[in-house]
Amino acid sequence: MSTFVPIQPDTAGADPRSTAAPAPKHRSATRRLVTTELRLLSREPFALTFVLVFPIVSMLIIGGSFGTQPDDAFPVNPSHWYVASYFTVVIGATGLIMLPVHIATYRERGVLRRFAASGFPRWSFALAQLMVGLTAIAISGALLLAVAAPVYGIPSVEDPVRVVAGVVVASVAFASIGVLLGTMLPSARAAQAVGLLLFFPSFLLGVGGPPPAVMSDALREISERLPLSLANQAIREPWLGIGDATVALVAVTVIAVGAMALAARRSAL
Amino acid sequence: MQPTPMRHATEHISGPVVTVRGLTKSYGGRVVVDNLDLHVGAGEIVGLIGANGAGKTTTVECLQGLRTPDSGVIRVLGLDPVKQADRLRLQVGSQLQSSGLPDRLRVTEAVDLFAGPHAQDRDRLLEQFGLGRLRRSPFAGLSGGERQRLFLVLALLNRPRLVILDELTQGLDPAARREVWSAVAQLRDEGTTVMLVTHELDEAEALCERVVAMRQGRVLDQGTPAELVARHAPGVTVRFGLPGAGGSAIRGELDRLPGVHRVSQERDQVAIEGAREAIAHVGAWLVASGHPVPVDLRVDIPDLESALLTLLDQSTDLPETRKVAS
Repeated sequence: MSTFVPIQPDTAGADPRSTAAPAPKHRSATRRLVTTELRLLSREPFALTFVLVFPIVSMLIIGGSFGTQPDDAFPVNPSHWYVASYFTVVIGATGLIMLPVHIATYRERGVLRRFAASGFPRWSFALAQLMVGLTAIAISGALLLAVAAPVYGIPSVEDPVRVVAGVVVASVAFASIGVLLGTMLPSARAAQAVGLLLFFPSFLLGVGGPPPAVMSDALREISERLPLSLANQAIREPWLGIGDATVALVAVTVIAVGAMALAARRSAL
Repeated sequence: MQPTPMRHATEHISGPVVTVRGLTKSYGGRVVVDNLDLHVGAGEIVGLIGANGAGKTTTVECLQGLRTPDSGVIRVLGLDPVKQADRLRLQVGSQLQSSGLPDRLRVTEAVDLFAGPHAQDRDRLLEQFGLGRLRRSPFAGLSGGERQRLFLVLALLNRPRLVILDELTQGLDPAARREVWSAVAQLRDEGTTVMLVTHELDEAEALCERVVAMRQGRVLDQGTPAELVARHAPGVTVRFGLPGAGGSAIRGELDRLPGVHRVSQERDQVAIEGAREAIAHVGAWLVASGHPVPVDLRVDIPDLESALLTLLDQSTDLPETRKVAS
């Protein structure tokens, strides 16, 4: 390693802390962290697989499995039922898998300690992760709809205000849950195990699996009360015009506020 | 190269950069740092040495505000590391033990991420530490030495007044270690205050003006490396082969030399233990006695490691790790 050169002072005798002018376009620590984390997200194969590829591939498979005619199980076109539902899969995968694994990996590898020791505000990493989660949801959701459009068509939005409210509240709720889980779980493996354990039952029972009409009463009772299922109801029902899902929207809002508060408390690095 | 005036702000600090009084920290009822007092003056390079579990890393983590002490008073650059952490951390550069960066973060991205408003020029710093050609390399693609040099770049990036380096050269090959040492020596020459936590006693001996030996969270002794060696491992051993040295006459002559404490002999091999002055007298005797200077002449001078081992050995009468009173 012959390239090493000893340090050369840049201004002999000067105290740069007092004399050097701040860089004209210096960004705040939080902005630098958010930008960097978004850039790293695009290079993360695990996150991209679960948040981008998995919902789209699953939607393509199951969306074509039940035809296009409403029946006893599906009150609307089954393909449209699943296109609307799989938007929530993106939200669940981001909050229950991507963010917890990402944050726990950082803790395990001492990245969080490095941020803390380097003077990043305590809340900045949690905020950056929340932003990353919301961005991942927005991009993946848009891609999901872009892929669905030529294949199954995008169902018309019957109640746009409630749908937007449902998407926003559900996204904030699950991104906050992701940050919270990431701050609680000690290692990437633990986060992966817990995340998959939380995600797949919610996914199969409440969002992307069989419709509630074909489930047993007990199973339907459980599935309707799962947080991801509530998020799905808050988005899908006003989207497809099969209900206003007020109770689900309120429940998801309560989850969002609670998860944000807990994530904020736990986010002291 | 001409010595250059220091470029950091330590010259504006009056009094100690680090003051610790009565620091105590325990984990799960086990006392790890026990009523520790410590002072580090501006521009000093101070090494914390000791066996595993001596409390060195916990001590510097308390100085950085990464851990909250159970009791005691800490001031770093006049600030409380816990209550004024946000102000302090901007003035302290840290190379932490067991810490990393995201695998896919590139070298320049890492520097940009950690660069505050008063940061040094990124490209010049990377060139200085031999990382210029690795600007686009992801962290996962760097060797151990390159990673440590990147950590050093990050520690120095924002012109810190105090640099804390914990196990700086752990896992590095000898060449990479020397390179990192040279960078730290340069910091010393510029007057930056450095605290070095290390198991590598040759590193402490080469870089530190003062070392603090710790065991079970307490300070056993402190001083310059030479002072510790003089206090705890003062003896030297001179060894050589001397054909025909079978008789007791030679042993007697050597035994009478100033500073010699003990002479032992096995066949032609002679070993002389004594004070440092014995080295000169034995050499003079060899020349004066007309013997050819032995080709296998060897002088074993104790180093900091010997001193620390003696110190740790002497301190075994310390009570076992204290438990927190319930």
